[in-house]
This record gives sequence, structure tokens and C-alpha cells, in this order.
Amino acid sequence: MNPKTLKYILKRLVLAVFTVWVVITITFFVMHAVPGGPFVGEKAVSPAVQKAMEAKYGLDKPLMEQYWTYLKDVLHFNFGPSLKQRGRQVVEVIGDGMKTSAKLGVIAAVMALAIGVVLGSVAALRRNTVADRIIMVMTTAFVSMPSFIMGSLLLVLFAIKLHLLPANGTTTSGLILPVITLMLSPMSYITRLTRSSMLDVLGQDYIRTARAKGVSRLKIIFGHALKNALIPVITYFGPMLAYIVTGSLVVEQIFAVPGIGRAFVSSITNRDYTMIMGTTIILASLIVIMNLVSDILYKVVDPRINLE
Amino acid sequence: MKMKKFLSLVLAGTMTLSLGSGIAFADDASQEQVLSVCLASEPDTLDPALNSSVDGATMLAHLFSGLAKWEQDEDGNLIIAADAAEELTEGVVGDDGKVTYTYTLKDGLTWSDGQPVTANDFVFAWNRAASFDLAADYGYMFEVVDGYADIWETDDDGNQVNPDAKLNVTAVDDKTIEVVLSNAVPYWNELLAFPTYFPVREDVVTDEGWATDPATYVNNGPYVMSDWAHNSVITLKKNEQYVDADTIKMPEIDFYLSDDANNMLTNFKNGDWTLIDDVPTNEIASLKEEYPDEFVVAGQIGTYYVCWNVNEDILPADSGLEGAEAEKARSEIRNAISLLFDRNYIVEEIGQAGQVPASSFVAMGMTDADGSEFYKNAGDSEDYDGYYNVAPEALEDNFNACIDVLKKYYEFDEATYQFTNFPTMTYLYNTSEGHKAIGEYLQSALAGVGITMNLENQEWATFLQTRKNGDYSIARNGWLADYNDPICFLDMWTTASGNNDVQFGKGDNADVQAYSLDLTDLGYETNVVDGTWAETYDVLISDIKSCTDNDTRYALMHRAEDLLMSTGCICPLYYYTDLYMVDSNLKGFFSNPLGYKYFMYCEF
Repeated sequence: MNPKTLKYILKRLVLAVFTVWVVITITFFVMHAVPGGPFVGEKAVSPAVQKAMEAKYGLDKPLMEQYWTYLKDVLHFNFGPSLKQRGRQVVEVIGDGMKTSAKLGVIAAVMALAIGVVLGSVAALRRNTVADRIIMVMTTAFVSMPSFIMGSLLLVLFAIKLHLLPANGTTTSGLILPVITLMLSPMSYITRLTRSSMLDVLGQDYIRTARAKGVSRLKIIFGHALKNALIPVITYFGPMLAYIVTGSLVVEQIFAVPGIGRAFVSSITNRDYTMIMGTTIILASLIVIMNLVSDILYKVVDPRINLE
Repeated sequence: MKMKKFLSLVLAGTMTLSLGSGIAFADDASQEQVLSVCLASEPDTLDPALNSSVDGATMLAHLFSGLAKWEQDEDGNLIIAADAAEELTEGVVGDDGKVTYTYTLKDGLTWSDGQPVTANDFVFAWNRAASFDLAADYGYMFEVVDGYADIWETDDDGNQVNPDAKLNVTAVDDKTIEVVLSNAVPYWNELLAFPTYFPVREDVVTDEGWATDPATYVNNGPYVMSDWAHNSVITLKKNEQYVDADTIKMPEIDFYLSDDANNMLTNFKNGDWTLIDDVPTNEIASLKEEYPDEFVVAGQIGTYYVCWNVNEDILPADSGLEGAEAEKARSEIRNAISLLFDRNYIVEEIGQAGQVPASSFVAMGMTDADGSEFYKNAGDSEDYDGYYNVAPEALEDNFNACIDVLKKYYEFDEATYQFTNFPTMTYLYNTSEGHKAIGEYLQSALAGVGITMNLENQEWATFLQTRKNGDYSIARNGWLADYNDPICFLDMWTTASGNNDVQFGKGDNADVQAYSLDLTDLGYETNVVDGTWAETYDVLISDIKSCTDNDTRYALMHRAEDLLMSTGCICPLYYYTDLYMVDSNLKGFFSNPLGYKYFMYCEF
């Protein structure tokens, strides 16, 4: 790796840490400013109990002091105990959720990429044929259909009518429907992206030159066209992976998948301060890292890109 | 050759399929022994001392054996029976009014790790649950036990005064527990069946995370926790060491953890789950038709009501009334407005879940001193139960009575039948379609007489805080009982209570001398004319808590509700019901009025 790239990556890493710090700071103060608290429930506890709980978790200290303590703890990767699920550490809860969400997200992302690139290439190479038309109509429909509608449709069809797959995502077979729901929209987007950039590339001079020199069709597609056609797909893939892993809140809700998305939402409704911070930090870091990785990959596939 | 290959493929395929169906069949056979249910999402805790949720309590009732338990007798009536105790003994009343109970543990009680259950485990568990250090939500369940008040005595800064204080409960020997109550309470046996009273062992709970992992979870009830996939499923297997193991029928119960009513319904419909504890509100009407045998409406002790902020001025600007006079006028106005609402419309058209129109704050299902329903004896009318007549035919009379009262204070336009100078109010509710529909109904009923009420919704935790702080004029509210005694509906309205959303005795209301209380006919000296809330209601509640005569105690509780309802700050709408769906092939299932569900005696 040349020193320029290394310097760029280092710079981006510093920027990433800075971004996460900004996210921590904003979340921390906004969270404390929102009305309600972790010990406010339908049945109020006595003021003495409330005070005892706040003292136990250090919530009785001045806000700035709590902030500095929290920052110090985070630097030591100590995210503290959950305020709601007593006896459990935030790291444990996030770890459990991430395992499921990551499995779901990675499978969906990889499938979206594989199927999307193939379909996109087919559509480009068979341009204006019936196959192209069908692919385009289908992908337009999938891209524009929100995941809660797609999820509900799949549930009714496969779980209630056909009894083929379970409706809750707690088992392995239960992950099939959520994976499909999660995959369809990005897959369609990748298909369309691949098709248009493939068409663009196929019209380039160097492809015509290669063809004129008698290079085989397959070699042109895989050796020359696809590599360049995939550049926009790669830029899209990094953030997409991050969003698909972190942003599947709706899908997790519909299929009752015990993922990080559900943990994130319930931590907010519960005002579980340590959980809110923990999930936010993890999600923010993921997105920042994925963006960085895709920028670097961008450079790898297209040497013309100047990282500066 | 090609044909041969094709045939062999078909053969192989058929074999694989038949193998698959064979497995599926075997699965079905074994599945009959497993009960899959879904009550709610992951419980915050399964530590009996810390739990405060109904679904958590259901699981704990399967995992632990306290001194007492809920059971069905031969006729299907719910009773409190002895569990770990040999029998539920009568208390001995001392000269100081304190009551001593002595319990003997059954022989052969063991923890799930094989160690014997001792009287000390109960003593430890109770002191832990009531302790300042644990600060459990339901620690106050031990309020009736002598010594609790000392533990929770705090100085002006909220610091504990007696760090060494303990409950007055002792282990006489390994099998005998002696506990002293400050005074007799009729619901003591019921408390013994409450999860907060379940035993835990000291060496087990020193690890704070003990209750989150099956490996460290040690319990003494009919089931053991064999697996807990967080946010997915909790698996309970029959505990063969349990002393009454031969009465336990269901070998395995899987508690699926989800709070999405749509997802629950899908799993119920496709047969994966046998019982679901929630259904989507907008599906209720069609489910009642489609699943008449499976759709169950059970009684639940709770009231859905509207609460007013006592400090919100609803009088016209030029009323000229101040202080106590103004408060008395407001009470009259609020009570009049309570007459305006058609509770039958609310339960039939909006709630649709078998709720019962409410005419009192203490809910249906609470028993009175003589065993009759408390709410039927509430209020002073001979013609109807409670404080209003909620019968459909009384609607017109109620409406006219309301108009007559309001005319005393507001300008009324006879031509349009509208009040013209009622201040605009805002109704606060937590975001939900059901609460919104009720808010809209209340809004339209008020608009009918010219009163403008805007609707405002807030997210749950924000809503709770706003209501608690008293930053509202009218708000949606609800209360579910923790045990079958009206006091749990009444002691929440004392000045210092954390649940005093109405703000009685707080802010401006602290000095308002508008409340009267005469208890001389019940043998008390209290006779306050035009006193503050603290001088009347707070005194009355502490009298109830120290009262040792059952009949007097209930009479006092009726007085408390009378005083509470006279303010008009509480406008009950309906008594809650517990809705769930259960497969009609399941036998032996029951639930109690607190909403706890019991699966151990179930069979298909």
C-alpha cells in the first residue's frame, strides 16, 4: 500500500472516531433532555425507591460528571449494565442481538449482491428482450414496495395459507422469510444499478476495441465490462450492508426476530440509558466503518479515483 | 440410459420425501408434550423480588413455590392454597394489635440444584425484596410486615436512617417461619402467593446476573428453566424434584417472547402457538366471529378512567370564585361532565372486548367485607351500583343533570344548546389507536354542548412523566390491581404517593380547604369540616392501614372512595378485561384476576 493511501486511511479513521464521539455527545445530552426516565413506569415507585435506584446507577450525579464518567467507561469498552433488564450487561444484550441481525443482514446482503449482479448483467446483455422487460418490471415493483408490505404478504402466503414456513424469526427456518423480505429491495436496486452501468460500459470505446481485436464475448464481459460496471455497486454495497444489518427494525418487528433493531427501539421506549448509548454507538460505528471500507474498495477497483 | 437415470432420481426423491414426512410425523407426536405460548416480549427480569410485570409473574409462578399458590378447586373456583407451607395458618393477634403467623415447611422441599429449601431462604428472600439496597418496584408489598417502615425511614435528604433494620420475620428452625404483621390484613394469604414473596437462596443471588442465565438459575417450583434464548424463547421443563410433581401434567412449556400482536396472531392461526395474550385491536370484531371458542374475555381487576388535574382552572374567567369555593365548584362541574359520556358506546363500539361500563374507581372484581362486590356497594344510590347510573336508559337523565349543573357556572345558549364560555381544554393520551378513538369520542361528546377539548398524544415514557408532573388538564389513565383489596386503588391518591397524577394536596391544592370527613360514626375522633387533602384523605388512608377490624376497615375504604369521587377528578369509563386466544383443545388451563396464567395442569 502506498503511503498516500495509508495516510488517507489514517485520516479517515481519526475522522471516524471524531464522528462517533459527536454521536455519543449528542445522543447523551438529548437522551437526558427527553422527558421520562428508566425508573418511571405505569406504577410509580416511591420517591425513596427512585432515589435509591438513581444513586445505584450514578444518575443522581450532575449531568456533566455522568458524561465524563461515561466517556471514560466507553474508552475502556465498558458499556455498563442495562438499567431495565437487571442483571444483564449492555454488551451481552447487544451481542445477542447482533448475532441474529448480522446473520440476517449478511445473508440478505450477499444474496442481494449475487442475484442483483447476475440479473442486472442479464438484463443489460439481453437489452430490450422479454427477459429484460420482466426483470425491469419486477425490480421496479420490489424497489418501490416498502418492507412491511412485502413482509406481510410473504407471511400471509407462506405462513398462514401454505403453512410452509414459521411466522416467527426465532428459529433458523424462521429466518427465511425475513431474509427474503430484507433482500428484495436492495437486490432490485443492485440489478438496476448493474444494468445501467453495464450498458454504459458496454458502449465504451475500449469494449469496442476489444471486440474488434476478436476477444471472446465471455472474456469481454467478465474481464473488462463487469469490473468497471461494478464500481457504483461497490459504493452502494458498503452503506447498504450497514443499513441492512442495523436498519431492519421493521422486518425484525414483523417477524419477531430477536435482533439489534428491536433492542434499539425498546431501549428508547424504556429510557434504558445505557442500552440507548450502547446500541447507538454500535450502529454509528458500523455505518462509519462500512462507509470507510466501501471508499477504500472504490479505490481498489478504480485506480483513477484520487483518495485525496 | 437417460430414462433409467430419471427413474432413479424420482425414486430417490420419493424416498427423501417420505423420510421427511416421517420426521414431520414424529415431530407432531412429540410436540403434543410441549405447550407453546406467547405472553409478551422478554421480561425485564425473572428475579422474583424484582419482577413487576404480569407475564414475568406468570413464568415465576411456574418456576417458584412460595408459601401459598393460586389453584382451582374441584368446582373450578380460584382459591389460595398452601404450597411450600404445610398449611396456611391463622394469625395470632397480640395485645399491641400485631399479628403473628407461624408456618411449617413441607418435608422434602429442594432447590433445583438439589439443596434443601429452608426457612432461612424465605427469611433471606423477604428481607432482600424489601431492602433499601435492592429498591425493588414491588418492595412495598412487604409494607404490612412489621419492620418495613423502619427499613424505609429516610431523612430529609432521602437517605436511609436505619441501615440495619430488618423485617420482623424469623426462622425458628430449618422448617418453621414466624412472621409478624403490623396489623391484620385480609389479603395476607394472597400476598404469600405473590412472586415478591417467593424464596431465593443467598449464595445464588449474590451473582447479580443469576436470573438471566439457565446455568445459574436456581429455583424451587414445578418447573426448571432449561433454556433462555434471549428475546426468543424461554423453555421450562417439568421439575421432577418438585414436591407435588405428580400433579404437574404439562412436561414442557415454551414461552415465546414477542410483543407484536400481529405476529402473535399469525403464529396462533398457523397452529404454532397454543395461547397468545394479545390480539390486534382492529381484528377483535372478526376474531370473535371466526374463533368463538378460542377468543376469551376474562375478568381482570382494573379500571380505565380519565383523570383531571385538580389544579387546572376550568371556571370561566369572571366566575369570581376563589380557594375552597372555587374547588367545590370545580368538583361539581367535573362530576357533571362525568355524566355526559356514554360508557356503553365506548365499550361496545370502541373497546369491543367485553369491557364493563364503570361507575366507580375501585374496579369490579374487588370483594367487600361480606364477600359481595365492593363496587356494588359503592355510592349512596339504591337504584344503581357505584356513583353514576351507567345504564343506557339513564343517558338522557344524566345529560340533563349535567346541563343543569353547568348552567350554574357557564353561559348557556338555549337556541343552540351550547355553552359559550367554557375554557378550552386539552386531553392527553399515550400514542395508541384505542386511546385515540376514546379521546375522539370524549371530544365529540363535549363538543355537543359547546365545550372544546383538543387532543394531544405523547410517546409512552414522555406521557407518564408529563402526567406525573401534572403538566396537563385532562389525561387518560388506568390502574390494575396487584392484589384483591380495594386499598391498592385508594392509597395511590395520598399527597405523597408517586401515582397521585391528579396532584391532590400538591401545588395550589395543598392549601385548599374544601374537603370534609366525618368518621365519628365509625368510632374515630376524626371530624374535619373544610380541611385540606392532607387533613382528610391522607389521614383516612393511614387509618385504614392501621385498622384491625375488618368491617370497619371496609367501611373506611368506602369513605375514602366517596371522598375521592366527590372531587370529580376521577371519571371512570370501564373496567378492564383480559383478552387472549387459546386453543380450544387445551384442558386444565386457568388464569387469575391479576392476569397470571397457569399452564402446569394443562393437557391437550
